[in-house]
Amino acid sequence: MRHNFARWDMLFVQFLKRDWKKILVWVLGVGLFSAGFVPAFEEIGKGQGFRGLYETMQNPAMIAIVGPTPADRAEDYTLGAMYAHEMLLFCGLLAMILSALHVIGHTRREEELGLMDLVRSFQVGRQANSLAVMAETVLINVLLAFVIGGILAGYGESSLSAEGSLLFGASIGMAGIMGAATALVMAQIMPASSAATGASLGIVGALFLVRAGTDISKESLSMLNPLGWTYLTYPFTENRWGPLALAALFTIAAVAAAFALEGRRDLGAGYLPERQGRVTARKTLLSVHGLFLRLNKGVILAWTIAFLVIGASYGSIYGDMQTFLESNDIMRQMFTASGVSIEASFTGIILLVTTSLVAILPVAVVNRLFSEEVRLRLSQLLATRVTRARLYWTNVLMAVLAGLAGTAAAAVGLGATAVAAMGDGASMDIGDFLAAGFNLFPSVLFFAALAALALGWSPRLGKAVYLYLAYSFALNYFDGLVDFPEWVSKTAVQSWIPRMPVEPFDGAVFATITVISAALMVLGYFGYRRRDMAEGA
Amino acid sequence: MSEVVIVRNLQKSFGRVTALHDVSLSVREGEVVGFIGPNGAGKSTTIRILLGILRRDGGEARIFGKDVWKNSLDIHRRISYVPGDVALWGNLTGGEIIDLFMKLHGGGDKAKRDFLIRRFELDPGKKAKSYSKGNRQKVALIAALSVDSDLYILDEPTSGLDPLMEAVFQDEVRKLKEAGKSVLLSSHILSEVERLADRVVIIRQGRVVESGTLDELRHLTRTTIRLAVDGDVRGLAAVRGVHDFRATGNQATFSADQEHIHHILSEAVKLGIRNIEAVPPTLEDLFMRHYEN
Repeated sequence: MRHNFARWDMLFVQFLKRDWKKILVWVLGVGLFSAGFVPAFEEIGKGQGFRGLYETMQNPAMIAIVGPTPADRAEDYTLGAMYAHEMLLFCGLLAMILSALHVIGHTRREEELGLMDLVRSFQVGRQANSLAVMAETVLINVLLAFVIGGILAGYGESSLSAEGSLLFGASIGMAGIMGAATALVMAQIMPASSAATGASLGIVGALFLVRAGTDISKESLSMLNPLGWTYLTYPFTENRWGPLALAALFTIAAVAAAFALEGRRDLGAGYLPERQGRVTARKTLLSVHGLFLRLNKGVILAWTIAFLVIGASYGSIYGDMQTFLESNDIMRQMFTASGVSIEASFTGIILLVTTSLVAILPVAVVNRLFSEEVRLRLSQLLATRVTRARLYWTNVLMAVLAGLAGTAAAAVGLGATAVAAMGDGASMDIGDFLAAGFNLFPSVLFFAALAALALGWSPRLGKAVYLYLAYSFALNYFDGLVDFPEWVSKTAVQSWIPRMPVEPFDGAVFATITVISAALMVLGYFGYRRRDMAEGA
Repeated sequence: MSEVVIVRNLQKSFGRVTALHDVSLSVREGEVVGFIGPNGAGKSTTIRILLGILRRDGGEARIFGKDVWKNSLDIHRRISYVPGDVALWGNLTGGEIIDLFMKLHGGGDKAKRDFLIRRFELDPGKKAKSYSKGNRQKVALIAALSVDSDLYILDEPTSGLDPLMEAVFQDEVRKLKEAGKSVLLSSHILSEVERLADRVVIIRQGRVVESGTLDELRHLTRTTIRLAVDGDVRGLAAVRGVHDFRATGNQATFSADQEHIHHILSEAVKLGIRNIEAVPPTLEDLFMRHYEN
């Protein structure tokens, strides 16, 4: 037994040396993300805010997304209760996924890269590496737990007790450790590292979906779910430590199983056989658009579904808006004075935010063509009858279509749930949401056009389009809170477009931005046609 | 014989770095031309200009009599290319990628594809990300050889193949030659070039330093001679055209300039030759000679 783990401590130290930067970013990043939103929540909760939010959060759609709260009455829904309710599940998932990816990166991925052959040729035990990775990941998550607990307790808020803060951090850390253990098991079973990653994330996703169902129907069933042992600890309210003990038992069992499985497998192989792929190609692959559709399929589908879900989660709030307004005098006066309904105003802002996110998708599709080029995957293809025009326009058009799909998904997701949530008294129909969403489509087109221009003339600047996108997003996001001067606001392309449904549609602006975008795309083509394809480096 | 590829005084720089100073070469119909040089000498850059992937800064480059940049599409109809660094889409299988390339090239032969997959012992059902370098190269080779072309541009196509697969490759190139196809073969496996090429072009730091048939090139260099004589072998050391002379007892090894070979042998005959061996210079000798100084 000792023999199997020989020199694991050396590997452990080696991992820490190799990874310390990553660990720093990980612990501080996730730590600040998990504990840093307290001031924002305080802001929301001013006046009758918590009461309004408590009502909103009773909505099954919200429970499906963030989970349940033990608070029975609005009075019990303190800052701490709300913070744990809205943040814990999500932060736990984040820790879980990061840990799972880390473990597979240091096990099967390194086996595939051939690094492990070299390590194992020294006097290193068969299972020393797995033990070292597991120890490292546990250490990272323990650090994370203390960082989160420390920051939360440091606010000195009465509802953020020391015990609750520590439990909140520990729940997230334990989620990470369980993610690592799950990944370690999958790393033994699956035929390749990508399959192990897929299976681990698949398990986490499946547990999340199952708990969404049981949280709504019968909360006690969620306690049978390993994911439930993290977010059902209810920090700041019930402070249940018991679930963490279950999680620890689960981890020990999973790690033991992983070690047993690892002891009997070959390096670089799993227990499941590698699935045989297609020996010949389907007809749908055999064209330039077929190829790029296949390459971009995953990202387009994932984003479109994400926009549907984001839209739907905002849409579910519409039913409670009137209640919220009744409980908040200042807000009510604001809306009565402006003569705009709270729903219309909210729609304008939310669609602006989601459409800015939608623009990421077409930019990613356009930039993909350059990353294919740099990775030399186009070399052989460029020596066939495929023209550069074909490559360029196929990708640019695919980006435009992806942008259309994303815009539609965000508007439909928001609109459909909003109309359902508002019920009979709905002040808007789905058409209003679609109109408001597609009103912003020229801005999506504009970002795609910038990416296309970069692709043609200076492809390494393609990534800079994301910076401008983030800048525009931030500007629009904070526009309501901070009073930017007019000229600063106008540096974001979205600011030129009126906000429907509050403001009327402006056909001239719509057409102008569309034409400018199309012109930039054509300009990008002229560059793409004449430039050197990247030499690799 | 008409010239399929003509390159004259080709120049190309990337920013301040000049990759090609002056490259001229030609490939005639039905001929295999070996294109050799160390890494970074400009082989792949020349080839990428021929494919219209890079724009040349100066000089002339024509394939089938057409300009490689302006008429690249017409040219691509009739050429096959295997890149030096084969990168494939990890999520597609080898079989899918071969089919895709065949379709995008046009004029593929399904039976030939299956035959080559068997010959190169490729598992076409595996995802490309699990292929080794050699297997990725097989995918590119099979795709290139399964379509009917008039010119095959192969950029170090065997650097990842094992000796058995290399033999299969050489056999396939011989078949192309018999069918009257032209091949531009860049390689640093010199024995392979020696076996296949009709003519050789040697490139160094962006300049062609030597080109011609192997025989022509051999005349420019020295033959290694080992002999044993009855007389005092050291007498040969001073003969014109003898270099690197080493003697043990009455045996000697030296290299001899081709143009003085007659004179050297006459002198040796006077000493009474008991035994003689002449080793022609290998391509490697030729190659090293250009790079050692």
